[in-house]
Amino acid sequence: MGSLLKRSVAEFIGTALLVFFGAGAAVITLMIVNVFIEGQGLQTTAGIGHLGGIASWLGIGLAFGFTIMAVIYAFGRVSGAHINPAVTIALWAIKKFPAKDTGYYVVAQLLGAVFASLLFGAMVGPDAWLIGGLGATAPGFSAGVWGALIAEIVGTFILMAVIMGVAVDKQASPGFAGLAIGLTVAGVITTLGAVSGASLNPARSFGPMVGDLLLGGPNVLGVFWIYVVGPIVGALLAVFLYQWFVTESEDSS
Amino acid sequence: MKCYICAQQGVDTDAVAVCIVCGMGLCMHHAIREEVAIWEGGYPFPSKKVSKPMPRILCPECAEAMKGGN
Repeated sequence: MGSLLKRSVAEFIGTALLVFFGAGAAVITLMIVNVFIEGQGLQTTAGIGHLGGIASWLGIGLAFGFTIMAVIYAFGRVSGAHINPAVTIALWAIKKFPAKDTGYYVVAQLLGAVFASLLFGAMVGPDAWLIGGLGATAPGFSAGVWGALIAEIVGTFILMAVIMGVAVDKQASPGFAGLAIGLTVAGVITTLGAVSGASLNPARSFGPMVGDLLLGGPNVLGVFWIYVVGPIVGALLAVFLYQWFVTESEDSS
Repeated sequence: MKCYICAQQGVDTDAVAVCIVCGMGLCMHHAIREEVAIWEGGYPFPSKKVSKPMPRILCPECAEAMKGGN
């Protein structure tokens, strides 16, 4: 096993790639919509899905999903490629991940997310935060904070359940984790993206939020708690439920 | 069981091992023992090398083939 420093660097880079390409896809979508609205002379607010409907969310979901798949296959054996504090905390909660490493992983993930948001902003320019908000997450439609919280809990629940089923469970077929998890995230974002932004990951929301605060984008600090509480609660529910399922099946066999 | 390679050379030698790949019997002189590092773990856990390597017995022909190359 690589040193904690090497594994933390892998988590930093993995989370940075996730935010750069995933949240970056949301930024680009908003910028394309904005160009269209300006071209048409419409007096309306640009929103994801304005042009492409749910296909826009599918596109963003696939950007996240493909990146997650790539990171899992690239860094899975190095650090475990959690790239999500909710995943790290949930694995720690069921004693599958050492407590002494958990804090380092979470810090590396948060820093990687901030770095990626700032790098994306530097690459694209002011439109990235003024129009795209660096891909920050906030409740959408009429969902409100509680609707968004439910979306984050349910979305992360299915994500973590899949991680348990295809990777943590020793009976799982090896080699499919990246594909299954990436496509799961893409599917969840397609449905829940318009409700909460479908973060499923405190680091993914933290990076753009901090980037916006530093660069002058929208302030979403007030709703950030949703993207901490929701994913962690959803992931914890999934791991404890999965452990209960497995224990039941062992008892009956 | 007799050593296959020795038998080809007209020598009668008792085998002390079997090649894990082709199954030929091997005497102490022709058996090649390799130590293979075993890694466990992988997503979502970091891989780590198991403390003890796994021994593997091969005949000279299979040992050469396993190395690859032309």
